[in-house]
Amino acid sequence: MIVFDKVAFSYGSLKVLRETSFSIKANERVAILGGSGDGKTTLLKLTLGLLRPDSGRIIVEGEDITGKTEDDLRETRMKFSMVFQEGALFDSLNVKENVAFCLREYTKLSEEEIDRKVRELLRRMGLEEAMEMMTEELSGGMHRRVAIARSLAAFEPKMFLYDEPTSGLDPINADMICKLILDLSKDGKGFIIVTHKVWDAMKVANRFLFLKKGGIIFDGSKEQLMRTPIPEIQTFLSEIRSSPLL
Amino acid sequence: MDCFPRLAKTFCYLFLPTLSTIKKGFIDIPNSIEKGSPLHRGHSLRIKEVISDFQDFYTLSGRGLLALTRQPFYFRDTIEQMDYTGTGSLIIILLVSLFIGMALSLQLAAELSGLGFKMYIGRIVGVSIIREIGPVMAALVFAGRVGSGMASELGSMVLGHQVDTLRVFGVDPVKKLVAPRILSSLIMLPALTFIGDAVSMLGGYYIAVYVSHQSGAVYWSSIRSVINLENVLSGFIKPFIFGYLVACISCYMGLSTKGGAIGLRRSTTRAVVVSFIMIIIADFILTRVLLYVLGFSV
Repeated sequence: MIVFDKVAFSYGSLKVLRETSFSIKANERVAILGGSGDGKTTLLKLTLGLLRPDSGRIIVEGEDITGKTEDDLRETRMKFSMVFQEGALFDSLNVKENVAFCLREYTKLSEEEIDRKVRELLRRMGLEEAMEMMTEELSGGMHRRVAIARSLAAFEPKMFLYDEPTSGLDPINADMICKLILDLSKDGKGFIIVTHKVWDAMKVANRFLFLKKGGIIFDGSKEQLMRTPIPEIQTFLSEIRSSPLL
Repeated sequence: MDCFPRLAKTFCYLFLPTLSTIKKGFIDIPNSIEKGSPLHRGHSLRIKEVISDFQDFYTLSGRGLLALTRQPFYFRDTIEQMDYTGTGSLIIILLVSLFIGMALSLQLAAELSGLGFKMYIGRIVGVSIIREIGPVMAALVFAGRVGSGMASELGSMVLGHQVDTLRVFGVDPVKKLVAPRILSSLIMLPALTFIGDAVSMLGGYYIAVYVSHQSGAVYWSSIRSVINLENVLSGFIKPFIFGYLVACISCYMGLSTKGGAIGLRRSTTRAVVVSFIMIIIADFILTRVLLYVLGFSV
């Protein structure tokens, strides 16, 4: 589904990715781990063509998206369902209008049909009562769930992309989001979750990529991750080594 | 002709992010810097950034205008923007216009009464308000209130990934965000200027009649004599250009926001400052062109 072929990217003089290569299948459950500023979110944005690489190729479903125009990229982007950090809800709209955004934009559904579909999605997220609330009235967890509902209303995605979906959430809400992520991938749809919260990544993913200094220093399963001798990863994992649940 | 490089440099400075960069000197790479060194690369990068900034600005301005002619049209967003830019700015325009008209009339009364030309107060107030002060003053108020609002709103949308979300959903941010702002500015600034001009002349009337004790009929007939096609055209072409400039500059500054709260502050400030400067420069150029085109001799 996604192939990164020697992709390099920099913000001005700051090099974020250096000739990074990897590939991800549509049904894989992948977690991209790494510290702040190591380019995790940049990877997702490059996948969607929101950023253009300095060099290298990004191939989505066999198509090189590197040189595509904004109009051509629309089709590629519709293959994914992206949930940005903190939800990125439109703050001038209420919950219902946020979820209905793409339905109004792309379909000719009547208001009753839109209302029914939005209710259905919000019920699935456990948020039916929040339908008329404005975004500033929502908690962090509700924000993420509305964002997920909105992305589901849009299209029938082939893969989900989550950018730090549990950051800033309490353990109960973080757990709820993890369950939702797993629930949505039940029918074989894969996802990429970008996070620095190893514990949450362990709950949902079965393949782990570790980004450091502009490159992938680890690519493997949960067991391989736990056993790896790479010092940077060991330091990162120290948060969960002491966990009584392990 | 010698002034052009300096003028270009001054324009470029307006788009610089920090004072420290200005001190470093970004446009000319000093000969003392070794070619290929990191410092040289830094300067080259800065030149590229400045050129790319200009390119992006002109592209956005062009695409924004073009988006007004192509579907989809965002009527609801345009109406919301018209409410914000027009209705929201009305009170402040009324207040500023009233006092500008009164102050202008007062100054003229003080100057002309000694010469025995008080009957010309209306004429001079009319010409200066319709042709010059009205459009510029309304545009400056508009840039201060609406321009800063547009830049900060779009900037916070960029920082909150809302603009990226639009792009992910296949919605063109230029059509959804920029075009309604350009259209509302193109409609509302001329309307505000028209209302502002009328209120300024009323303010001038109050001073001429109740302070300077001139006949109201003389004041209005004097004003009527300058309300001709040339003057009205001269005064109503400007607000369209100013509205377009303010909307494009503010949208560009907002959409190019980066760097959190400080970046937002910087882009908002820059939107207002650049709009102010561009309004004043455009006013001079337009005045020169319009006077020539409309057959005024100078």
